[in-house]
Amino acid sequence: MNSELIDQVSAQMGANGLPYTIPIHPNLVHLTLGLFIIGIIFDVAGVLFPLENWLFKYLGLAVERAQLFEVGWYNMVASAVITFFTVAAGFYEMLLATPPASLKSSWGLQAMETMMWHGVGGVFLLALMIGMTFWRGWQRYISCKESDIQVRWSYIFAGISIMFVMYLHGTLGAQLAGEFGVHNTADNLLRMGQDINNVLGSGN
Amino acid sequence: MLESLTALNDHNLPYPDPLHPIVVHFVVAMILFAFFCDLIGFLTGKTRFFEVGWWNLFVATVSIFIAIIFGQFEAGLAKPYNLVKSVLNYHTLIGWSLSGVLAAITAWRYVLRSRDPQRLPIHYLAVALLLTIIVGFQVYLGDELVWVYGIHTVPVMEAVKDGILP
Repeated sequence: MNSELIDQVSAQMGANGLPYTIPIHPNLVHLTLGLFIIGIIFDVAGVLFPLENWLFKYLGLAVERAQLFEVGWYNMVASAVITFFTVAAGFYEMLLATPPASLKSSWGLQAMETMMWHGVGGVFLLALMIGMTFWRGWQRYISCKESDIQVRWSYIFAGISIMFVMYLHGTLGAQLAGEFGVHNTADNLLRMGQDINNVLGSGN
Repeated sequence: MLESLTALNDHNLPYPDPLHPIVVHFVVAMILFAFFCDLIGFLTGKTRFFEVGWWNLFVATVSIFIAIIFGQFEAGLAKPYNLVKSVLNYHTLIGWSLSGVLAAITAWRYVLRSRDPQRLPIHYLAVALLLTIIVGFQVYLGDELVWVYGIHTVPVMEAVKDGILP
């Protein structure tokens, strides 16, 4: 965002460019990714249940196939719900981002390009996750209702493809944090030529 | 060949980005969601949520050890400047402790589930609440390492290597 516009609110902002010390978006990302990936993995485990049942028996774990699908369903619902907040927090924090204009990431992208891809990609991924949740619910309550197997392979493959997009997307986010230093207190202080030990050591 | 595996990039890592914060998804998200599901199951009496809670807890317990392995590895390569050291020590201490606490709670949960998968005593929920609070604090410390002190970020790593940041 244009620095003159950001200056309109900068009085409320700390050295990291936010009105609070720890960015919210990367913390919600834990929930989005953890819930989505584990949801898909449990559906895979449910579909392949006959292959791994010996392992559960060997470990002394009482496992019913239907339970694995419960995890697949509820984790997917939770991940779609939480991701609205992940995207919202991401856009708020991206509005306040002032990355250095001269740098290029290890993928050869500048800061604005990286933010564009990460922002548009985030909305795209949210849409895909909502679509997956409805698809999953439709299979659970309508099309596979009578079946032991609650999901189709096409759903699993879609889930794995989305995980790959998430990997690319997450790497862009990691580059914003770790290379451009967006909303990073120490990186911003260094860029302003300030002494980190002095500023962070005495204050808190 | 080995040299290319051990060569360090400008994050001071032998691979593109830190992996510990990624593995940690599966500890943080699963512990929080397990507690949420157990609470919903307890309050509504829909015991299917206990199964979802148990499996998420199970995943968290497996993941925390992988998170610790990567955490130790990346802490070892972090070149912490003076100010960071105490935060990193607390994060390490709580991380290892959490692995024991989490494994013990999961074992307890395993026994409870083996006896009666339809019931969850309120003491369990109290302990699980305590666990989520400790996890919250641990996440806060990890956040401080990355977002306040910039551990493994390129600008901080450069400053440390140049000797600007003692």
